[in-house]
Amino acid sequence: MKSLRVAGTVGDLPTVTFGSRSLMWWGTLGFMVIEGWTTAIILAAYLYIRQNYETWPPLRTPYPSLLIPTINLALLLLSIIPAVFVARAAKRLDERRLKRWLVVLSVACLIPLVIRWWELWALNTRWDTTAYGSAAWTIVGFHTSLLLLDVIDTLGLTLFYFIKPMPVKSFSDASDNSFYWYFTVGGWVVIYLIVYVGPRIL
Amino acid sequence: MTGPNTNRTLPVEATVAEDDIERDARALETVWGERPGFWSWLTTVDHKTLGKRLIVTAFLMFIAGGIEAALMRAQLSRPENSLIGPDRYNQLFTTHGTTMMFLFAVPIMTAMGLYFVPLMIGARSLAFPRLNAFGYWNFVVAVVFLYVSLFVNTGPDVGWFAYVPLSGPQYSPGHRVDVWAQVVTFTEISALCGAVNVIVTAFKMRAPGMTVNRIPIFVWAQLVVAFMIVFAMPAVATGSTLMLATDRAVSMHWFNPSEGGDALLWQHVFWFFGHPEVYIIFLPALGMITPIIETFCRRKVFGYTPIVMANITTAFFAFGLWVHHMFATPIPELGQSLFTAASILIAIPTGIQIFCWLATMWISRPQLTVPILFVLGFLFTFVNGGITGVMLASVAFDKQAHDTFFVVAHLHYVLLGGGVMPLFGAFYFWFPKMTGRKLSETLGKWHFWLFVIGVNVTFFPMHILGLEGMPRRVYTYLADTGWGPLNLVASIGAATIAISVLLFVINVIVTMRRPVNAGANPWNSSGLEWSVASPPPSYNFLYAPLVESRHPLWDISVDLPVLTGFRTDRREVLVTTTFSAQPDSRHEGPTPSIWPLYLALCMGVVFIGSIFSPWFVLGGVGLSVIGLAGWGWTGSKPSGHERVSTPAAMPERA
Repeated sequence: MKSLRVAGTVGDLPTVTFGSRSLMWWGTLGFMVIEGWTTAIILAAYLYIRQNYETWPPLRTPYPSLLIPTINLALLLLSIIPAVFVARAAKRLDERRLKRWLVVLSVACLIPLVIRWWELWALNTRWDTTAYGSAAWTIVGFHTSLLLLDVIDTLGLTLFYFIKPMPVKSFSDASDNSFYWYFTVGGWVVIYLIVYVGPRIL
Repeated sequence: MTGPNTNRTLPVEATVAEDDIERDARALETVWGERPGFWSWLTTVDHKTLGKRLIVTAFLMFIAGGIEAALMRAQLSRPENSLIGPDRYNQLFTTHGTTMMFLFAVPIMTAMGLYFVPLMIGARSLAFPRLNAFGYWNFVVAVVFLYVSLFVNTGPDVGWFAYVPLSGPQYSPGHRVDVWAQVVTFTEISALCGAVNVIVTAFKMRAPGMTVNRIPIFVWAQLVVAFMIVFAMPAVATGSTLMLATDRAVSMHWFNPSEGGDALLWQHVFWFFGHPEVYIIFLPALGMITPIIETFCRRKVFGYTPIVMANITTAFFAFGLWVHHMFATPIPELGQSLFTAASILIAIPTGIQIFCWLATMWISRPQLTVPILFVLGFLFTFVNGGITGVMLASVAFDKQAHDTFFVVAHLHYVLLGGGVMPLFGAFYFWFPKMTGRKLSETLGKWHFWLFVIGVNVTFFPMHILGLEGMPRRVYTYLADTGWGPLNLVASIGAATIAISVLLFVINVIVTMRRPVNAGANPWNSSGLEWSVASPPPSYNFLYAPLVESRHPLWDISVDLPVLTGFRTDRREVLVTTTFSAQPDSRHEGPTPSIWPLYLALCMGVVFIGSIFSPWFVLGGVGLSVIGLAGWGWTGSKPSGHERVSTPAAMPERA
């Protein structure tokens, strides 16, 4: 075996990094791409099904209601604010502010999840009446699963911060949690436009 | 806990003393090594252990799929045979296809990457070891579910691509198709976990100095395939889990034409995955060929850059071919022409790679060991399969050959020639690294010749049978057709393949009973994986190797440059910058955990339960919350030794 020559040291390198320097950020990005692409495929299938109908929504199917979905969209967009403050506090390693904003974010993401129930019914069709209904329910249902996952992650992180001492690297995790929340909200803007507003145009 | 040996900095340009090496190795073994016992077996997150386990499990699936194939060949060996009835035959060919594609080919190619990518890039582990364990256990759930179902007469019976309306609720009542749909779901989860792991590992954990143009070609292939998995698998997951399963379980109408659904939509979402799937199997195999040729021709590969570019180009084209599986459906003519052109075009990047290998071998004197024999077998067999692929890209010919044995011949030439032969070559090549023992060359040569002869004797006659009009997926045929003799030849070929694989298994068993004696680099190869002991230690690399060329072990004559200064009291890995691979931070890897297994079982409750009642979905999600909490809890222990770099304090390097 060849001998080993010391060419340098890594001892001075940091052990906690943020954003694209952190492995977890890349992993989060990977799953965002997978989930975003899945959403795109379902939306493409929704538009593919559209070709089978002369009218959209189909005859005797009312348009989706806009009131509740629009309110929920506004709430989701507003929830970006605490998410930004969570990320900012995390990057400043300000635990006091981080905990405060995590609580606000937890409430801000839990409310849209609860309202999602009425938002599903605001589609004004059932999943088992027509292919249109199936497509609409699938898209909103899939996004709900992403919403649920992020709510669990946010609530869990918040809870951990209040009940146990957390390592410094969890600041980076909190920042990545906000990163994923932006994706969840951004994805919903597209879905809202296609599924709730779209039938009035398509 | 801070030990006396932690975070030691040695003087630069000094040679690491043997005492230091021994002390650090002992400390790292304590931190990274697996404890004996069943609990450790369940909780391990070591990429080598899980990689080997995935290879073995997937190979067992190859044998299971092979047994199914042998039973089918026995049934077809003569006309009007009554060995297997039509219902059992339907289950056999569906389970054979599903097993070979979803439970053997993709997982085993991915497994080779999960095992070797960290070793080839000089990393101590994968980026997300627990995610890797979660992926493996999901795969196990799929295996158990499919085979238990088959043995209780609920094996899927609608072909491996489960076309609707046959697979829809109207024509396939019962749970056979549900089994197929959920097996696919588990394998997708598993593949996606592996893909994210490979991408982040290859992007962020390459050894210092391993710039983008020094990445080993095998790693390039795995990286390209990981991206393909990210964009291909969601299509079939959408089709099987969100569409087909919901049509069947909760009366959705995705594929029900009477309510505005569309049967062709299934073919689109399936083949948007299904065609790239072929390249997901094929590209890693191509990645295995380059180091084998380099090693046994004693030459650096000709055309590194064209080979890498060909890999990437193939991946792009692979997403533009799916409609050539649908030429027999009413696709607009313009679309047919486009997909014909794309299907022919993809032969170009593959051709570039083949010519680069031929150029590498041309003026060398290859040492004809078993690994390179399998590469030569690949060249011969795969080129035949590739040519029939170009034939099938022509719409006029495809419409004649569609659903005949010609297609069966083509796909087996491609998959066995292009996938399995390089894979066997890779087994012989890297077996010493994984186990510390070299497989027998004599038995290996018998294995090789019987396999190549068997493949050609089995599948060449199928071209003729197909051209004569024999449809695929029939459990028998009449004597008047005259197809009997060629079918008998094909069945004899299948028996030859079975004998050859049996010889390989015997070779492995006999070799594993011998002592470890292969040494670190038995073939005098050039990659970083050969710089560590065989089998590699639990921590892979004692220090981070400094890479100064594409062939580190061939280009460095005196001593191996390394970077020291890691803590030895925890699982520390080095994170480097994405393009230039400069050291950027140290990351603490996770310890063993039961939660990946627990969460995979929760996925089992969700997806298998969903076949019977939607309430299982709610229950499974509820149980998953406990698992996520456990995973997060054990992953967030303060160590007290963290050194922070906020974005303001240390800007991103190029």
